[in-house]
Amino acid sequence: MKAPRIAVLLFLLFCAGLLFADVPVREEQFIYSILAFNGKDYAGTFARKDADTIYLVADVDNFITVRKVFVYFWPITQDWKTDTSALNIPFEGTLELSGREDEPETVGMTPYTYYNIRGEYELNWSVAKEAEADQAWQHYQDLMDAYWQSVSKYYETRAAYEALLNELTTTITRMRNEGQDVTKLIDALRELKSPPEPQYPTEYIVPPAPVQKAFILNLPVGEYSIRFSTEDGLVMEGSERRIVAFDKRRAEAIGLEVIPGDKWTRPVEAKTPASVLYINGSTDLYLRPFYQQEYNDLFYEKMRKNDAKGNPTLMKWVRIQQVPKARVEVTRPSSEARMLLEEPFYVEQVKGAALGYQIVPFDPEGKHKDREPSLQAFHIPITKDQRVVRIRVQDKDGEYLPSSERQIRIITLSRVGFISLILGVLPMVVMIIVMARRSRKYTS
Amino acid sequence: MNQRAHATTVLARRRIFETLISPGFYVAQTIGLVLAYFLVAGFVRAIDSSGFDYQLYPAYELIGRSLVGAFGTTFVEKLFSEGPFLFILYIAFLPVLLYLAVSSVFRFGLEKKVGALELLTYGPADSTSYFLAALIKDILMTAIYLVVLLVFLLVAGVLNNLILGPSFYYSLIILFFLSVAIYAYGIFASSLTDNSASAIAVFLGLILFFIIIMMGSFTIVSGYVRNLASVFAWIIKWISPLFYWDLALRFVEVGDWGMYFIGILLLLVLSMAILIISHLTMKARGVRP
Repeated sequence: MKAPRIAVLLFLLFCAGLLFADVPVREEQFIYSILAFNGKDYAGTFARKDADTIYLVADVDNFITVRKVFVYFWPITQDWKTDTSALNIPFEGTLELSGREDEPETVGMTPYTYYNIRGEYELNWSVAKEAEADQAWQHYQDLMDAYWQSVSKYYETRAAYEALLNELTTTITRMRNEGQDVTKLIDALRELKSPPEPQYPTEYIVPPAPVQKAFILNLPVGEYSIRFSTEDGLVMEGSERRIVAFDKRRAEAIGLEVIPGDKWTRPVEAKTPASVLYINGSTDLYLRPFYQQEYNDLFYEKMRKNDAKGNPTLMKWVRIQQVPKARVEVTRPSSEARMLLEEPFYVEQVKGAALGYQIVPFDPEGKHKDREPSLQAFHIPITKDQRVVRIRVQDKDGEYLPSSERQIRIITLSRVGFISLILGVLPMVVMIIVMARRSRKYTS
Repeated sequence: MNQRAHATTVLARRRIFETLISPGFYVAQTIGLVLAYFLVAGFVRAIDSSGFDYQLYPAYELIGRSLVGAFGTTFVEKLFSEGPFLFILYIAFLPVLLYLAVSSVFRFGLEKKVGALELLTYGPADSTSYFLAALIKDILMTAIYLVVLLVFLLVAGVLNNLILGPSFYYSLIILFFLSVAIYAYGIFASSLTDNSASAIAVFLGLILFFIIIMMGSFTIVSGYVRNLASVFAWIIKWISPLFYWDLALRFVEVGDWGMYFIGILLLLVLSMAILIISHLTMKARGVRP
């Protein structure tokens, strides 16, 4: 009788173990925290103790700091993460860089900030160092202070305006009830205007970050090695890393973001210059051309996230920024080339059970008043009877951009597709004929 | 020399005739073409309003997921960026390549084992003219099949409004020269061994070894495994036909035609070198098992 009870007890204990979720094991590690420029943006990653190589884009400023944090593996996303809430000790010291010159160089920590200014192109990144960094940060602070002051002033003026409006309305109502003439007051009410709302500073797309200190590495293409020394001049154990500085293979090619009219949330990208976009022609397309650069797949992925995987033998196109003021030439087989301009569109949810989206022209005066357009794109109407639509992108000066030609092919299920199956079995038919002839030849 | 050339021509003619009257070559072709048909049909069914999505068709979903897992998203994007034909070319070529290579290796081993090769060498032919005839047969049959495949895919393209794309044509040309090098390795494996089974085992082992080394550096493995494969690949690549194939395709991708043709030339040089080694091996070992 005792044995089954023990078995049940053991089984329950086993199940109890399963009820508790696995807590990732946090390990205290010395890491390199990396803020790397990826061709379009600055993005952070880190090199944990087992990561022997740091990947950086060549000839641009990249920022590296050294710290001790808890590192753990997060199985849900299958990647390594840092827990800085419990432990985050930054180290100050110097970085010994070997490989650029005959002798190892000593790189010190430099105060810096980085920001992206609004301009014709999306990317106008600047890095300010030392005193310049303080100035850039101060300039941004002044700009924001001025904005908040104008906001505060606006609220005061707005309150005064609303009080006056209220007073006037009350007076007009009272006087009208008493049968008095209110014409002058109504004129005064009409002339009363709401104070303008202050505009948020538009100078920056990405404002300067607070000034920090880091090792700034701006390296030509090549392989280097680094190790960290503390302020006492002692080399930190386990701080040796290899650095791979890589560059793009090709640049200024044109890629296209293609948004189908019925799948606004699922855009596709035609990146390879020889690529063909095959579609079923059930909806119109909305295109957005962008500049792209070609990088080694492994290097680029590892630069963005040090524990990522990639294919070292492949090059990949990376979207960099939009082509400003572009025009798209569309050619259809039966008609002349047409030049399209970028237009604003609004994405509306489809009413009813379909629960999809549809892209409609933006109507700023009508039903989209006081709203922003959802996208700026080139509208390519598609019908199923067209077989091929060819497109080419021009820049603002009317010059055709290199490798911007693409084909859109509309695929409909062919009724004569079986012909290729007949062709496919043709060798068997030939075989039967050959064997039959030979058999007849030797039997007769 | 003239005698050897004459013997090679006569033997090659005989081998070509035998291939044309036996069912194997036709069956391999049909397998390749029918596979191509189903892959084209699947591709067409996997197209929606936003383009090709391999998840829409079960066979492609399996293929796509396996390829993404092994080689990464960038590889799959590139493979299908011009349409399905680059992928189909390799898949549809494989049955005929395997048939031609393995049947030649098998026959070489078999004829060596039963003494037919020895018998031949008592006459005007020697072992070199024997294997050269097999090579000529394989090259010719490969060329015929590649033309058949090209016509088939062109027709399938026209019927379905698909185009073959530049990468397809570069790959088609290089595939021919790659197969010559593979056949040369088949002859080398036969020259090393005494019977069909061991010849096929050595040949497939060699090709598999080249594929593994190539894929080791190609697939998205990380750290130690990739580094090890890279070191191995660096040593082995000079004798691997896959290295020159990859090299030529990589250069033509950026429009470097010179290096593409050098890649082809290097494949021919490699094939020649393997044939010379096979000739010397046969000379040293003789034709008796």
